[in-house]
Amino acid sequence: MFARSRSQCPRLSGSLHFVRRSASTQISNAAVNAIVSSAGSEGAFATRGSGPLAGVTVAVKDNICTKSLPTTCSSRILENFTSPFDATVVSLLSTGGAAIVGKANCDEFGMGSLNVHSVHGPVVNPVGLQDGVPVERRSAGGSSGGSAAAVAAGFCDAALGTDTGGSVRLPASYCGVVGLKPSYGIISRWGVVSFADSLDCVGVLAKDVSTVRRVHNAIAKYDERDPTAAPPHVRALASQLCMQRAAEITATDLKGLRIGVPRDYFPKELQPSVIESLQKTLDQLRARGATVVPVTLPSTPYALSAYYVISSAEASSNLARYDGVEYGLRVEPPPGANLNKTANVYAHSRTRGFGEEVKRRILLGTYALSADAFENYFLQAQRVRNLIKADFNRVFWAPNALKVDASTNATRTEGVDVIIHPSAIRTAPPLPDAQHGASAETGSLDAYVQDVMTVPASLAGLPALSVPAGSGSDAWPIGVSVVGQWGFDEMVLKVGEVIESCQAGGP
Amino acid sequence: MLLYGRARILTRSARWARSAHTVRPRVDDSRWPGWELVVGIEVHAQIKSRRKLFSEAFASDLTSPPNTHVSPFDAAFPGTLPRLNPKCVELGVRTAIALNAEVQRRSAFDRKHYFYADLPSGYQITQQYAPIARNGSLQLKEDNISVRIKQVQLEQDTGKSTFLPRNRLTAIDLNRAGMGLMEIVSEPDMRSPEEAGSYVRALQALLRSVGSSDGNMEQGSLRCDVNVSVNRVGGPPGTRCEIKNLNSVKNMMVAITCEAFRQIALVDKGIPVTQETRGFDEEKAETYSLRSKEDAPDYRYMPDPNIPPLLLDKSYIDEIRHNMPELPDATRARLLSRGLFKRDVEVLMLVDSGREVGYDGQLGHGAVAYFDEVSQGRNPKEVVNWYGITHELLGQLAFRNETFSENPISVQQMGDLIDLVSSGKVTGTSGKTILRHILSTRTPDLPSKIAQDLQLLAVSDGGASLEKWCRDAIAALPEEAEAVRQGNAKVVNKIIGYVMKASRGTANAQDARGMLLKLLRP
Repeated sequence: MFARSRSQCPRLSGSLHFVRRSASTQISNAAVNAIVSSAGSEGAFATRGSGPLAGVTVAVKDNICTKSLPTTCSSRILENFTSPFDATVVSLLSTGGAAIVGKANCDEFGMGSLNVHSVHGPVVNPVGLQDGVPVERRSAGGSSGGSAAAVAAGFCDAALGTDTGGSVRLPASYCGVVGLKPSYGIISRWGVVSFADSLDCVGVLAKDVSTVRRVHNAIAKYDERDPTAAPPHVRALASQLCMQRAAEITATDLKGLRIGVPRDYFPKELQPSVIESLQKTLDQLRARGATVVPVTLPSTPYALSAYYVISSAEASSNLARYDGVEYGLRVEPPPGANLNKTANVYAHSRTRGFGEEVKRRILLGTYALSADAFENYFLQAQRVRNLIKADFNRVFWAPNALKVDASTNATRTEGVDVIIHPSAIRTAPPLPDAQHGASAETGSLDAYVQDVMTVPASLAGLPALSVPAGSGSDAWPIGVSVVGQWGFDEMVLKVGEVIESCQAGGP
Repeated sequence: MLLYGRARILTRSARWARSAHTVRPRVDDSRWPGWELVVGIEVHAQIKSRRKLFSEAFASDLTSPPNTHVSPFDAAFPGTLPRLNPKCVELGVRTAIALNAEVQRRSAFDRKHYFYADLPSGYQITQQYAPIARNGSLQLKEDNISVRIKQVQLEQDTGKSTFLPRNRLTAIDLNRAGMGLMEIVSEPDMRSPEEAGSYVRALQALLRSVGSSDGNMEQGSLRCDVNVSVNRVGGPPGTRCEIKNLNSVKNMMVAITCEAFRQIALVDKGIPVTQETRGFDEEKAETYSLRSKEDAPDYRYMPDPNIPPLLLDKSYIDEIRHNMPELPDATRARLLSRGLFKRDVEVLMLVDSGREVGYDGQLGHGAVAYFDEVSQGRNPKEVVNWYGITHELLGQLAFRNETFSENPISVQQMGDLIDLVSSGKVTGTSGKTILRHILSTRTPDLPSKIAQDLQLLAVSDGGASLEKWCRDAIAALPEEAEAVRQGNAKVVNKIIGYVMKASRGTANAQDARGMLLKLLRP
C-alpha cells in the first residue's frame, strides 16, 4: 500500500571526496563511519542556487525520514526501510536551498550516549585521526555521533541530530563542534522517528555558531502536523521577551548579562580539566562585563533517574509498532512455534530486530508503565520533572512563555539570563574494544552517567547549546553548555557566539 | 498485510465499581422470581466523520476495497504524528449534550497498549483518565426509567482482522483503523433484558438524531459490551460478568437472559459467580468464558505525550448547544402537539430514524423533515392522513420495496397532491392513482398537471356526467338495482363500484351513492 522499502543504499566504504578537513588532511568516511547512506553528488538533494541555505551541505541523522534515502534508525528492524515521506525539517532544508549529503549514523533509535549501539557499527571520533588514519579510537558521543563526526570531519557544513536527553550536545562536546538543542516544540517533529515524544527535539550541529543559527532559523518553523509544536503566538511572546536582553549582547560587551552557574552540576565524576575549562570560560565572560552568580537547581540529583523512567516508558510505547507486519524486518516464526498470541508472533521479529540497549529500555519502560509500578515510577518521574521545570523557572528572570499566565507575569529583576555548565563530565571516552561489548552492566551504567549534565534541560524543554571551550589534559575537546529560558534560543546562540570568539582569542 | 495468528477477542478492563444500585421500585420478573438482574452497558459507537480521528484518511464504507483508506499514520509508520480531527470533537460534544452530560472543559488522551495485528501502533489512543464528558443520563420513556451515563470518551477504532483457517493466516484491513469511536458507559441501571434493549435502541435513535453516528449494529458501527449480575431480592450485589461483542439488540437481550439463568443456576448450587469476560454463542444460545479476571491483560495506560490536553471554551460548547438538532423526545412532543395521533407519530419517527446520517454532523433529510415541509400552511392531520404521508406514501414505498430516502415525490408535488384532494379537484381514488404514477414514472410533473394529462380531474358539469354513469350502471346491473329498490341498501355499493370504474375514479363515491339512491328510490 505504500512505497515499500527499497534495497538499502550500499554502505559507504570509499571516501567522500567533497570532504576536506584541512588542506593537508582528508578523512574518509570509512575511518569514522559517520555517514550510513550517501545522496551522491547529483539528484534531488543537490543544492539550489537561492534560499537562506544555498550552498550549505547538511547530513541528516538516520532517524529523520527521507523519501529518497533509507531511514534505518541504525536498527536492524528498519534496515531496509525507506519512508514514504520527507520529514518537515528535510523539506525545509531542501526549500531553503541546502544540499543533503546523506544520512548520519546514530545509536539505535537514539538510545545511547556513545554511538556504539548501531547496526552500522560504532562511529569513530574524527579528532583521533591523524592524516586520515585513526591513532586513537574514541567515541564520537551519542546518540547523534554520526552527525557530530560528519561535521568534525568536514563531510558537511552542518548536520541535523536529535536530542532526547543530550544526544546532540554530548557528541558536539566530544567532537569539538557546536550543537544546539532548541526549545522543545520549536522545530517540527513530523517525520522524526519517535524515541520519547515528550523529550525529542531536532537539533543542529556545525563547526560554528553562525552556521548553527543559519540552519536553525531555516527549520524552526511552526508546523501544524506536529501537535506538540509551539503555536505562533507563544513563539512571538518568547521571542519578544528574549530580544529584550539578547539584542544588547555583543562580542565585546556583556554588561548586564547575568550568568548562573548551578552548584548542583559538579558531580564527583567530573574530570578536573572540565572544571578548569569552565572556569576559564567564565573568567573570559566576566572580563567582558558579565556577572556570574551561583544558582541552585536542587532537583538535579533526581533528573537522571526521572529521565530514564520517562524516556524508557515512552520508548516502550513508541517502539511497539515495530512488529514486522506493515514494514520493517519480519522474522517468520519457526515451524511448531506457539502462535496462540499475536505477541508470540511478533516476538521473533522484535527479538532479532532490536539491539541489546533498545531491548533493555523497552523492558525498563514496560515495567515502569505496568499497573504495579506506574505510580512509583512513571508518575513519580513526572513529579520530579515538574520540580525540575520549577527549578529553572525560579532562576531565570524571564517567565516561561509556555505557561498560560506568562504574558501577565511580571519579569523579575533578580534572576539570570542564561545558565552555564559543563556539557559532559569528561572528554570523549575510548571506544569499547570489539571483544568487550558495550552491553556489560557496568559499561551501560557508565554510559547513562554521561547524560547527567544534559538531561535537566531536556526534561524542562529548554534551549541548550554546547560550544567548544578548550581541551582537556588529554588534548581532547571539552564543551560548555549554555541553557536559556524556553524560547530563548537566540539568547543561548548569542552567548555561545561570545564564548566561541573568546576561544578564537577574539577581542 | 497478512499475519500468522489466531483470532482473539479484544477486551478491556472492566470499570464498574458498583456498591449501590439506584433506588428503584423493584418489579418481580416471572422468569426469575425472587432474583434481581442488574445490567450496565458499554457502547462503542463509530463517529460519522468524513475523516479519521487523528489522520487525514477518509472514512471508508462497506464497498471500499481493503487497505484503501489508510494514511501512513493509520499504519503506524515511523515519524507520523496524530492530529485531532475537530469534527470528531464536535460530534462527541453534541452527543454529550444530547445525553445531558457535563462536557469537560479539559480532557486528555491516553495510550492503551496491547499487541494485536489490527492495531498497528501497538496502542489505542483513548481517554482513560480524563474523558470528554461525565454524568449524563438517558430517559427510557416506555420503561419510565432513566439510565445514568457515567462517561463518554473519544478513542480510536482498530482495523479488522479476518482469520483464514485454511492457510492459518489472518488478513488485516486497516480501512477502519483510526476511525473515531465514542465509548458511552452507562451505570448499572437496567434491570431486565428488555430495558437493556430499550436503552440501546434509544441511544441509537439519539445518536442518529444528532448525526454523530449511524448507530448500525449489524454493520458494526455500534457495538455493545454488557455487564450482567444477579442477586437475591434484598441481598447484596452479585459478581458481574462482561459479555463482549454483541452484534444486535436481539442477540444482546438473548445473551443477557442466558447469562442471568446461568448465574442464578450457579448461585442456587452454592457456586460463586467468578468475575470474567464472556462471549456469546448465538447458535447454542449460551455465553462462554473468554478470560478470567486473573488473566486480564495489563494495558499499561500512559498519557499520550503527542496530544496536548483538549481544552474546550465555554463559548465553543455553548455554540454547539445552541445549534443542537432536535432530539427524538422533543420531535415526538412537537408532532403530538400538532394534533397527530400517537400511532402516526411513532410511524413517522420510525421511518425517520432510518434516514441516512451525513458525515461530520450534517443532518439527513428524513420523514419528519419531509412532513414538516409538506405540512407548512396545511392541516397536519390531512398531510399525515390516508391520502398523505404515513399511509399511502409509506405503504406504497414499502410495497415497492423502497426506503424513504428513495422517495421521488418532492415536497412541492406532495403538497400539490394534498391540495388537489382536499379541495375536491380530484377524488381520493384519483389521488392514489397520481401518487402511484409518480412513484413508477419518477416524473417531476406537478400532480395538477398529471391529473389533467390523465383526465383524472373531478368532472364539474353540474352532475350531468355522474347521472349518466349512474344510469349506465343501473342498466348494466338490473338485478342489483332491483335489490336496492326492494330496500337492500348494501347492494348499492356494488353499483357504486361500477360507477367508479366507469368514471376511472374521477367520480366522488359519496355523490355517486346519493345519485343512485335518488334514481332508484325517488
